Amino acid sequence: MKRLGSVLAWGGISALGAAAFGVLALSRGETVNAAWLLTAALCTYAVGYRFYSRFLATRVFGLDDRRATPAERFNNGRDYVPTDKWVLYGHHFAAIAGAGPLVGPVLAAQFGYLPGTLWLVIGVVVGGAVQDFVILFCSLRRDGKSLGQMAKEEVNPAAGATAMLAVLFIMIILLAVLALIVVNALKASPWGLFTIVCTIPIALLMGWWMKRWRPGKVGEASAMGAVLLAGALVAGGWVAGQPHVAPLFTHSATALTWMMVAYGFIASVLPVWMLLCPRDYLSTFLKITTIVVLAVAILVILPPLRMPALTPFASLGEGPVFAGKLFPFAFITIACGAISGFHSLVASGTTPKMIARESDARLIGYGGMLMESFVGVMAMIAACTLDPGVYFAMNTTPAALAQASQVLGQAGFVVTPDVMRELAARMGETTLLARSGGAPSLAVGMAQIFAGASSALGGKTLDALWYHFAIMFEALFILTTIDTGTRVGRFMLQEIAGHVWPRFGETSWYPSVIASSALVVAGWGYFLYQGVVDPLGGINSLWPLFGISNQLLAAVALCVGTTILIKMGRARYAWVTSAPLAWLVTITMTAGWQKVFSTDPRLGFLAHAASLAGSTSPDVARLIFNDRLNTFVALLFMSVVTILIVTSLREWWLVLSRRKMAVVHEAPYVATGYVVGN
Amino acid sequence: MWRRDMSWGTERERGNGKGERALPFPARIARVVRRMIGAPDYEAYLDHCRTAGHPPTLGEREYVAEFFASKGDGVRCC
Repeated sequence: MKRLGSVLAWGGISALGAAAFGVLALSRGETVNAAWLLTAALCTYAVGYRFYSRFLATRVFGLDDRRATPAERFNNGRDYVPTDKWVLYGHHFAAIAGAGPLVGPVLAAQFGYLPGTLWLVIGVVVGGAVQDFVILFCSLRRDGKSLGQMAKEEVNPAAGATAMLAVLFIMIILLAVLALIVVNALKASPWGLFTIVCTIPIALLMGWWMKRWRPGKVGEASAMGAVLLAGALVAGGWVAGQPHVAPLFTHSATALTWMMVAYGFIASVLPVWMLLCPRDYLSTFLKITTIVVLAVAILVILPPLRMPALTPFASLGEGPVFAGKLFPFAFITIACGAISGFHSLVASGTTPKMIARESDARLIGYGGMLMESFVGVMAMIAACTLDPGVYFAMNTTPAALAQASQVLGQAGFVVTPDVMRELAARMGETTLLARSGGAPSLAVGMAQIFAGASSALGGKTLDALWYHFAIMFEALFILTTIDTGTRVGRFMLQEIAGHVWPRFGETSWYPSVIASSALVVAGWGYFLYQGVVDPLGGINSLWPLFGISNQLLAAVALCVGTTILIKMGRARYAWVTSAPLAWLVTITMTAGWQKVFSTDPRLGFLAHAASLAGSTSPDVARLIFNDRLNTFVALLFMSVVTILIVTSLREWWLVLSRRKMAVVHEAPYVATGYVVGN
Repeated sequence: MWRRDMSWGTERERGNGKGERALPFPARIARVVRRMIGAPDYEAYLDHCRTAGHPPTLGEREYVAEFFASKGDGVRCC
């Protein structure tokens, strides 16, 4: 009877999800409510978690709760701590969720709401969540080792070194593109810049509070920080209205670039307790609160989607936000939310050291990624509730908008200057035109949803306050990622250079700290500057590079996962990781090839460089150099992953053909002490 | 059967039969929030030392300093 009830319940959930997908896929021309999108996503997650993750946990990985985890064996009360699975779920989610799942779907909305949503929902169930889960499992069985260490041990030392180099290069592109999003959101925005500048002294104050005055009192410091942050947000509105004060916080994108570079350098050499830790706590609280509030607000107002299911840019490939057709660019534009290689660094970092029992990895690894995908779906909803004309005007440079004007006009995506002026005034900004990067359009979408919910609940709408709250929310955790990313990049550089000059590898030697920080900051700072001065807005070239690099890191992780499954004698299940691996390699190699060799100057770096050859612009030499540099970076990423895949394929062949003994480097089995009465 | 036992055993940590579930409700909530956001928890460290049967090797200031320093090695995702 119980089994019949379960079959009926899951059959009902599956049918509901299928019906929601049907509504989304078959609607053409009529307005679709966001409720269908939410229903399709939630039902797919439920079915995926209940059946597929269980299959992975029991049949593929063979999770064994009788086996002691690293948290139990090495429990030291600090980094190795057995932690309740729901607590660790929140901790892991806070570490994996950043700007990516918010910004990627907003940019991919250029193709309409359907392609991005399908990729978010299906990609996560069969790809992204599997990657997180398999790497968490592998690290859990190896005392919490990192992805690079596992690649070195399980594939070969060259693979380990390749993975490490890949992570370093990816980090540089990632930091550049994230910084570009912040710069585009804060340029000529005194309210936004004032609020973000205020977060620095607030974080310093919190740092002193937690370290010097009241050691470890994170709650007190965070409460104080939150109050001051709210004050800064409100004060920002006043600052923006003062003719003598506002110019102090009104800067061009180029000026903001230099400020970001200086900030990144200082933040990475300061002690972590001073700036990084307090900012991390603030952004974690803000992130979790805002995501919960956004989910509730969407459920309260269930907004209609104004973007069509598919736009003409899906097949034309001439999108004003970024160039390229739906395949492969929708799949690299949305990385976090569907599948993100960066998560493999978290899944082989702190999380495996805190898991109390092996079966918890299912909820934390697989379930945590499903939640991130849900955040991506909410970002897609927020972007698609905007008028398409407004969306394209905000996310495109005037030059690209002019190029796409005919297609935009035919599709009915038009917006008048008056509408944009009125919207900017309502959001407390002077202009919202050409704010590429996704963050400002997401902020407008979120502001409208929050304002809609607060007016539905009887409150005032306060659009401008909500808009700047959303900008602060995004900028705060992007800056946290820049702090941590620059620091981690510095450690990697020191480790690599330490093989040549051991003194340089000492992380406490200050000349090495300064030099390596400067090199990492110079690396991402150059790409940031390149993006800022790019006539097409920077996102067109940098976001695809970031997407390709992030997905290629996911390919590295899936290679390692597949190798370990084969060595464990589970070759018959290797398709769970090799199928998403094959898909990722296909999309990233296709996208990389097109970005380098396409004859369309908007798409191909080399074609763009060639198109500039006869130009008389004073910047032409720099622009051509940038195109060639981007070509080099794209080819480098593709080469690095090709090497790793070839070495992995060789390893698989040797093991499967029994030419080589399969040796897994798992920690020895130790029975758990938690089991009582077994 | 063993699964249900474990869900309690984990919280208690090995052996002593006391731990988070023995804490007053507000203290439990505070401990949960601290772990979720990755904040230092010296009391939990002292509990661990008591359970493990050895004296604490770190004072509160040293513990907090080490905890914050180790956060600098972690990575936040994009």
